[in-house]
Amino acid sequence: MAKKTYDLLFKLLLIGDSGVGKTCILFRFSDDAFTSTFISTIGIDFKIKTVELRGKKIKLQIWDTAGQERFHTITTSYYRGAMGIMLVYDITNEKSFENIVKWLRNIDEHANEDVEKMILGNKCDMGDKRVVSKERGEAIAREHGIRFMETSAKSNINIERAFCELAEAILDKTSGRESAENPERVVIDRANSDKAPGYNKCCA
Amino acid sequence: MERGSLYPNGADTSAAAAAAPEKTTMSIVQQRFKADETVHLIFEAYQIRGQEHFEGLLTLVSSASGGTYALISFSLLRTPLTASNELKINKVFPINKTFQLTTDTKGSISEQQFDLSTDDDRPSKYYYHPIRTDLSAVDFNEFCAKINSCKKAMWEAELPSETTLNFRWLDDYREIGEVKQELKKRQSQYIVYKDIIVYCATWNVNNRPCWDNNNSLRPWLASGEKAPDIYAIGLQELDTTAKAMLNGNQMQMYAAQWIRKMVESVHDGVEYEELQSVRLSGIMLTVIVRKELRQHIVRCRVNSVARGMFNALGNKGGVAVSFQLNEAKICFVNSHLAAHMTYVAERNDDYKAIEDGMRFEENGLLCRTINDHDHIFWLGDLNYRIQEPNGQQRPGPMNDAQTFELLLQYDQLRTEMSHDRCFKGYREGEIKFAPTYKYDVGTDTYDTSEKQRAPAYCDRVLWKGKRIEQLAYNSVMEIRQSDHKPVYAIFRVKIKTRDEAKYKLVLSEVLKAVDKRENDNQPQIITERTIIEFGLVRFNEPAMRDFNVYNNCPQQVDFMFKVKDSPNDICEKWLHVDPQSDSLMIDSARSIRVRMLVDPTSITGLLHKICNTPGKCDFDILILHVRSGRDIFITVTGEYQPSCFGLSMETMCRTNRPVGEYKQDEIKQLMVDVTPEYRVTMPREFFLLIDYLHKQGDQLKGIFQSYDRRQPLSSQFNAVRDWLDTWSEDEFPGTPQTAAEALLLLLDLPEQALLEPFVEDLLHSRSKSEAMELIALLSAPKRNVFMHLCMFLREGIERHDYEANNVAAIFGRILLRTSKSNVTLDYQNLCSQFMRRFIHVDSPDTNAGGNGHAGGANGASGASGTSGASLQA
Repeated sequence: MAKKTYDLLFKLLLIGDSGVGKTCILFRFSDDAFTSTFISTIGIDFKIKTVELRGKKIKLQIWDTAGQERFHTITTSYYRGAMGIMLVYDITNEKSFENIVKWLRNIDEHANEDVEKMILGNKCDMGDKRVVSKERGEAIAREHGIRFMETSAKSNINIERAFCELAEAILDKTSGRESAENPERVVIDRANSDKAPGYNKCCA
Repeated sequence: MERGSLYPNGADTSAAAAAAPEKTTMSIVQQRFKADETVHLIFEAYQIRGQEHFEGLLTLVSSASGGTYALISFSLLRTPLTASNELKINKVFPINKTFQLTTDTKGSISEQQFDLSTDDDRPSKYYYHPIRTDLSAVDFNEFCAKINSCKKAMWEAELPSETTLNFRWLDDYREIGEVKQELKKRQSQYIVYKDIIVYCATWNVNNRPCWDNNNSLRPWLASGEKAPDIYAIGLQELDTTAKAMLNGNQMQMYAAQWIRKMVESVHDGVEYEELQSVRLSGIMLTVIVRKELRQHIVRCRVNSVARGMFNALGNKGGVAVSFQLNEAKICFVNSHLAAHMTYVAERNDDYKAIEDGMRFEENGLLCRTINDHDHIFWLGDLNYRIQEPNGQQRPGPMNDAQTFELLLQYDQLRTEMSHDRCFKGYREGEIKFAPTYKYDVGTDTYDTSEKQRAPAYCDRVLWKGKRIEQLAYNSVMEIRQSDHKPVYAIFRVKIKTRDEAKYKLVLSEVLKAVDKRENDNQPQIITERTIIEFGLVRFNEPAMRDFNVYNNCPQQVDFMFKVKDSPNDICEKWLHVDPQSDSLMIDSARSIRVRMLVDPTSITGLLHKICNTPGKCDFDILILHVRSGRDIFITVTGEYQPSCFGLSMETMCRTNRPVGEYKQDEIKQLMVDVTPEYRVTMPREFFLLIDYLHKQGDQLKGIFQSYDRRQPLSSQFNAVRDWLDTWSEDEFPGTPQTAAEALLLLLDLPEQALLEPFVEDLLHSRSKSEAMELIALLSAPKRNVFMHLCMFLREGIERHDYEANNVAAIFGRILLRTSKSNVTLDYQNLCSQFMRRFIHVDSPDTNAGGNGHAGGANGASGASGTSGASLQA
């Protein structure tokens, strides 16, 4: 029954193929450390990290998911509660980049509609082994209207920035919602647009 | 305390334990508390959460500093208890006026239970065992009796009046924000002390309105060179005439005018604003602050305590303003205490009443008192007089320091303070001014009226707290419209202030440390393995695997298997996990058993899963959840040995060798195949069973009596399964009963009913010929099986081996199975009716569409010729 020591709690999720470095990214962010030994995540781990954004203490609860193929179905059940999702690929692994589309589809199917997303091209310190250019990463992010960043958990490039940007985007949304006169409005609009085609047919 | 073993059956009766200084549970518990806190008793009580019960201890503790009792509830991280760090506080119940122990057993699972509640919290339920296990613990009656006596002792006993009962000591046992606590600990790293000037002023205005004043208030309020940061101005006798006191509006107006006048009269050259005023009848306190200071002031509260007549009128009493400036809590009190030379004790009482009664609301239940502030300034007409030694004349002219010194020797306030009878801990600066009371109004002459009141230092400014330095303390002679002279005092106060840059640094470090602690303290368990390999699993053959989970973290860990979305259970139907949840004490392990059984109720689901999983299909993935921690995926895997049971007629017709020779993956290929290419017209397994049954003649009497998929299978079933799955040439290994059982399962287990996709239409068909048109549209294997079956059944009915209605009911329900949840009687009747049409001996169109099906079943079986022929006969 510990008292809360934060103003806001954001739940974030790390997803992506096995071995792209999700756990390392989290470890770098939470413990500012890196280990090169690969231990496959068998389940869902989480770490917390409190950041100060715009004078608010924001507690990030970051869930690290198992990337292995056999767990894909089961991990999708964790998408629902997430407010932000980091979708990670490995710039030295073409397949992991190609799968981004699949992961995005997964998000569409299972996550909250208004979840904030960000694509991370990890291992950007390994320039000599790069197979996915930064431009391709940017292109796919642009195509889906998602933030993008290249990161390196090993060299500590952009890790903190990525999380803070994602958190900030969620904060924008949250505070926008608080100040909105009618918080229900968005939902109502959506329902109307769903009905729109049928309605038009009737009129035509 | 207690001798002997802690727990009668405990392990600590060893020689080593006996040699060490004896530790009773009571003494271990006592170690959790401070030196001035005493554990009076311990009581064994447990709590129930979900299905589990958690052993705990309730301890009655008192604090010498607070003068109060409380019950503290611990959970035990280890039993028997060996050290005080194995006690975890889970709740604190101050035994205050709202504390309640209730033993309402209504709707409870046990007589041995009670509720504890205090303040606005929800009651917490506790249970206890009829017999205590720990000899240093008390029984329930003693427990209740002791609590009651404590309650009495605290609230009814006469206490020395200085003691204020409080529960502040409990804060150390309540969890307060970790970040806050940590920041407090590291205060010295970011706290700096900033000088501010505090100007205190007091004046008994003797009912004179402010416009009566031709003189400016400036000599009183704008003395000193440096512009003050904070003014606290106390007035008394604003208007104490009965008329004014009964007219609130008029008083309000007076007060407002005074405030305006005072704000106008403060130091020049600096912008000030009124922070807050508080008035109790004629006693008013106004706090004025520098404008730029305002934004640094938070939690500003006011309150008043009325004294005087009936303790309510408020012609005497005190008012106070409390606030926090940066990190410093500051309190100003203005009081007007009891008058008259002889009323010293009353003045002391008034002081105490104000000190005890003044409360500033913090948040809901919590209140701060005057003494909870860092810097306290107490000013006002305290009314203490110069005690006149009996028969002595009043001193002569009073304008030199020596006289003041002499007078002050007889000052009642100083005398009372030196005896600690009032204003304990307060200080006062040196008085180098003449007594401020009582003057003839408009003059500097002491009372010349009949009463000839003795001059006195009624008007004072006192302070309490650290880092306060008095710069000036004086009266103002030239303000003459009252019988009192105004008094002021100027202070330099070093107030606690946060260095923002340093604070930010410390905060980020604290956040990091607190996060790290939370991450490191996450409850953890280790699983012996995350893949449970069952190897080859066969239909109707139970198997099990055990694996261990350990708690290797320094706290109790609760774990449970999570209910998944699909299936809506912790595991698939063919699995059983035990236990589904448990608690692990430190360093303990638990074995978890996973049982697997693919039986008639689960085979369909498993085959469905195999077909619908791309790639290799695991039997299941369990989610092992650690409360407040991670989830671990436990993969349950193995290889299912396909059997004919559960396969569709179409799949069986695609096999080119016995099913038992197929692997899980190979059979999956056949199952997902939708082409209408079949190797045989009718599954050989089905044909073999019918053939066997057909040959049993009289033996068939009384079979097909009943059927229920959930019934346990007969002991010979697995032999029959192997016989079918190997296309064995041996003799049938069972009885006609087993064959009948196998036949029904063969028809019942496939995902789709035999007569799908036409079940609905067939149920509502009005004649056999109408039904036949639909049956002709079934896949060849299904159609052939159906016709062959009907002929076989008809023959039996003809021979009176079994009864038509019964058979129609049993087979109808299987062949026309529906996935609809509500199976009505009507539906069952329709099923039977449909079947009767096909198996009734006298049915007029028996042969319609039936030709050739059975005979064409297959040429592979040597028996087919004879059986086919006889069935067609």
